[in-house]
Amino acid sequence: MPYLSRRTLLATAGLTPLVGRAHAQTDAVTVGVSGPLTGQYAQYGADWRRGFDLAVAEASGGINGRPLAYDFQDTQSDPRQAVAVAQRFVGDSRIAMELGDFSSAASMAASPIYQRGKLVQFGFTNSHPDFTKGGDYMWSNAPNQADDMPILADYAIGRLGFRKLAVVYINGDWGRTSKDIFLKAAAERDASVVANEGYLPNEQDFRSTLVRVRDTGPDAILLIAYYPDGAQVVRQARDMGLTQPVVATGSVYSPKFLELGGAAVDGVYTNANFFPDDPRPVVQRFVTGYRAMFGTDPGSYNARAYDAMTVAISVMRQFGTDRQAIHDGLAKIHDVPSVLFGTVTFDPATRRVSHPSSIDLVVKDGKFAVWKKAA
Amino acid sequence: MSSWLDYTINGLIIGNIYALLAVGLALIFGVSHLINFAHGSVYAVGAYIGWACFNYLHLPLPLTALVVVIVCAALGMVIERLGLRPLAGAPRIAPLLATIGISLVLDQLLQIIFTPDPRALPSPLPAWRIHVGGGTIGALDILIAATGIGSAAVLFGFLRFTKLGWAVRATAQDRDAARQMGVDTDAVNRTVFAIASALGGLSGLLVGMYFNHIDPAMSFQATLKGVVAQVIGGMGNVPGAIAGSLLLGLTESYGVALFGSSYRNLFSFALLLLILVLRPNGLFASRRATPPEPMTGTFIAPSKVLRVPPWLVVASVVVAALLPLVPNIPYALQVLTNAWLAAMLAISLTLVAGTLGQVSLGHAALLLIGAYASALLALDAGWPVWASIPAAGVLTALIGTALVAPAFRLRSHYVSIATLGIGEIVGLVILNWESLTRGPMGVTNIPTLAIGTLELDSPQASYWACLAILVVLALMQARVLRSHLGRTFRAIRDDDVAARAYGISLDRYKGIAFAVGGFSAGIAGGVSAHLYSYINNETFTSTVSISALTMVILGGMGNLLGAILGAVALTALPELFRGTAEYRMLIYGLALLLLIRFRPQGVLGTV
Repeated sequence: MPYLSRRTLLATAGLTPLVGRAHAQTDAVTVGVSGPLTGQYAQYGADWRRGFDLAVAEASGGINGRPLAYDFQDTQSDPRQAVAVAQRFVGDSRIAMELGDFSSAASMAASPIYQRGKLVQFGFTNSHPDFTKGGDYMWSNAPNQADDMPILADYAIGRLGFRKLAVVYINGDWGRTSKDIFLKAAAERDASVVANEGYLPNEQDFRSTLVRVRDTGPDAILLIAYYPDGAQVVRQARDMGLTQPVVATGSVYSPKFLELGGAAVDGVYTNANFFPDDPRPVVQRFVTGYRAMFGTDPGSYNARAYDAMTVAISVMRQFGTDRQAIHDGLAKIHDVPSVLFGTVTFDPATRRVSHPSSIDLVVKDGKFAVWKKAA
Repeated sequence: MSSWLDYTINGLIIGNIYALLAVGLALIFGVSHLINFAHGSVYAVGAYIGWACFNYLHLPLPLTALVVVIVCAALGMVIERLGLRPLAGAPRIAPLLATIGISLVLDQLLQIIFTPDPRALPSPLPAWRIHVGGGTIGALDILIAATGIGSAAVLFGFLRFTKLGWAVRATAQDRDAARQMGVDTDAVNRTVFAIASALGGLSGLLVGMYFNHIDPAMSFQATLKGVVAQVIGGMGNVPGAIAGSLLLGLTESYGVALFGSSYRNLFSFALLLLILVLRPNGLFASRRATPPEPMTGTFIAPSKVLRVPPWLVVASVVVAALLPLVPNIPYALQVLTNAWLAAMLAISLTLVAGTLGQVSLGHAALLLIGAYASALLALDAGWPVWASIPAAGVLTALIGTALVAPAFRLRSHYVSIATLGIGEIVGLVILNWESLTRGPMGVTNIPTLAIGTLELDSPQASYWACLAILVVLALMQARVLRSHLGRTFRAIRDDDVAARAYGISLDRYKGIAFAVGGFSAGIAGGVSAHLYSYINNETFTSTVSISALTMVILGGMGNLLGAILGAVALTALPELFRGTAEYRMLIYGLALLLLIRFRPQGVLGTV
């Protein structure tokens, strides 16, 4: 059981964590994870955990002879709890590095503590442009919008040939940055954006938003959304009789998008970072392993978590499990196999990775399929 | 303008959905004067039972609906029996907290049983759609409308023509008188909870089918929209709840039409405030309802206060101040720093909610205002942090009081709902006022806490800073409470008619109390901003408001030390339960329920 709940449970009996724990000496190398296991983002925490479990199970040799474990602390992506967890990890000498948190509000509130405590905070879903500017201990392999959106624009405008787009985006920091970059990319490609509609993150009803979109007469809808709300937008568009094709960001790439969207999402175009039939060995290993372990196809959040843990494993195997060594090692490590990027090499200046791999997909008969120009 | 027809239809469709929720809430409020925060959770339970019936038992829709109705009715009776009836003699605020606790427990149970992954709930209804205007209406839309209107009609008949219905109405009008007349008010309550919960569960099933999406986090938004809808229609007014829901749906739809989706909820809450200020009894109160008894007096029943000897308080502060000298406990210090910050919010809330009797459900908004004020003063105006934080306190006091001023004429639950609305509006304004607040990107690079050039960035330093600020704010508030102001606040709380007869200007003293409270909360927000270095509109959400209220109720309404104790307890408990991972919030909810069950007046007692 890679997940440490039982042992942490025993360790937590009584007030031990609050008054400083005499570190139970285990020889496991531990990666701290700060993320949502309960609360409104809990589904993403569950997605993460499946990716981590697979990566840890595959690293059967552990780290240079020591077993590998991860300690997932629930923060509900609430800044108050994220800072407490950050301080806990910093003060816990077992923790070699940290992964997470999920939302920008929680992750970036915790950054000063990781920075001062000299513990690497590895944000693998943190696309906020300022996340790695928090300090030299903030690293990220989150695919960032400056890479993703021009690729999506090439797909929608170049290859699919849409000239008049309506952008519908989730009005949070990720959706907002994506939209701004997309608008720029669209302008460079001489396509016009006739509408851009931001919706609130907890919204479920999009019908009136879609009427606004319809009235501008676009020839396609560009959707910047996560998979649950993305599915909802497409469903309601089809219910309302909007027939325009939909091109969505890779964040909708999840079996749940197909399940929640039903027949309505047939024909949705998206550009994902990987695909189960992708012949790259790292993808095949990931997808086969995932299917064997969980019986379903992986989605993009599983892949991100898997990739993040893979980077952690590689850096610790090469440079040791000392916190400073991990920090220095991330700058030197190169060509780590990655589901999302092909290979990962960090730019030491931005502490990010660029050039994700990308595949044009389309939903066909309730499944994601590779899109080909001739089709 | 065919689009306007579409906007109208869309507004009615979503209003239709709100109506299903609002009817159940209105029924419970009408009889027990309780905003049932667990209603949304019953709704989520209904959706999941429906999902299980479809997927495991392969039942047809009518049978599934029947199962959902029966199970949720039983759940409603259990909630009434275990969560609320034992609190019959307790202060009126206790059942409210109990419903919050029950909601937490139910949501967590769903999440543990069904995992947090969202699930599809495909509608088994035929897929035909009627074209209306530029859009379409499906079978499910018609079923939802029929259920909403049908259930309201059945309820109306039940309340008007059956003996049990009469008993329900008698209980609603005057519980004690009804009991003297031989009405079994317990049975009435049980019936009401059963009916309302059955409806809630059924709406969960139908709405889940409508969105083809159910998840354990669906409950809070549902409660929120349902409450707003039923207030618009008049609290406790069942037919009004339907009309209010449709009006809410239309307002949102037209709001989106005119200004865009990002402003959507701004319109619903603005409508809520407008209705509260202009027609506090709801749009459809046909005649002037009998003025409520000075409910505040019964709302917060004074109890025997647990006196804490002054030496113990001083000793605790000294121990707390010496704690950072213990080596190697940064995590404990961080948790307590969070607790001191929470305590600043809690003493602010205990002043307005406990001492003054104006229960605020939007207190997190004050944190947001304080955080943004201090962060922007420091970043954009170049103020040093030691000056920007007090300035943020003053600004929060001013802005907060100005925002809540229109609600000064309201009483009891209406105040709570108005503040709930104001809180949501503040969050949405911050999201949309980009030129000032940087919108969804949030404010980055906020300087750390510092006095002059001395940076207070170690865990010890920020701990001491927060503790010192808390002590100063608490002493200030204790001074206010001991003065004529404290006596006046309590006089307003206990009987505002009598207070006014004595020549007390209610508005002025309410303004003073909110300003004092706003100052503490604004400081807490400001300090947080500098500790976090990054804030956005999601840093302080409405769940913070709810948890602040639980701290205050737990400590004892109006009890200054109680508020601090409640803040420490409720900040530390979830951290202590960390080892239990996903079960953490479940255990927390159960602990909350037990506390409220055995100490409804708060640990230190209501002052």
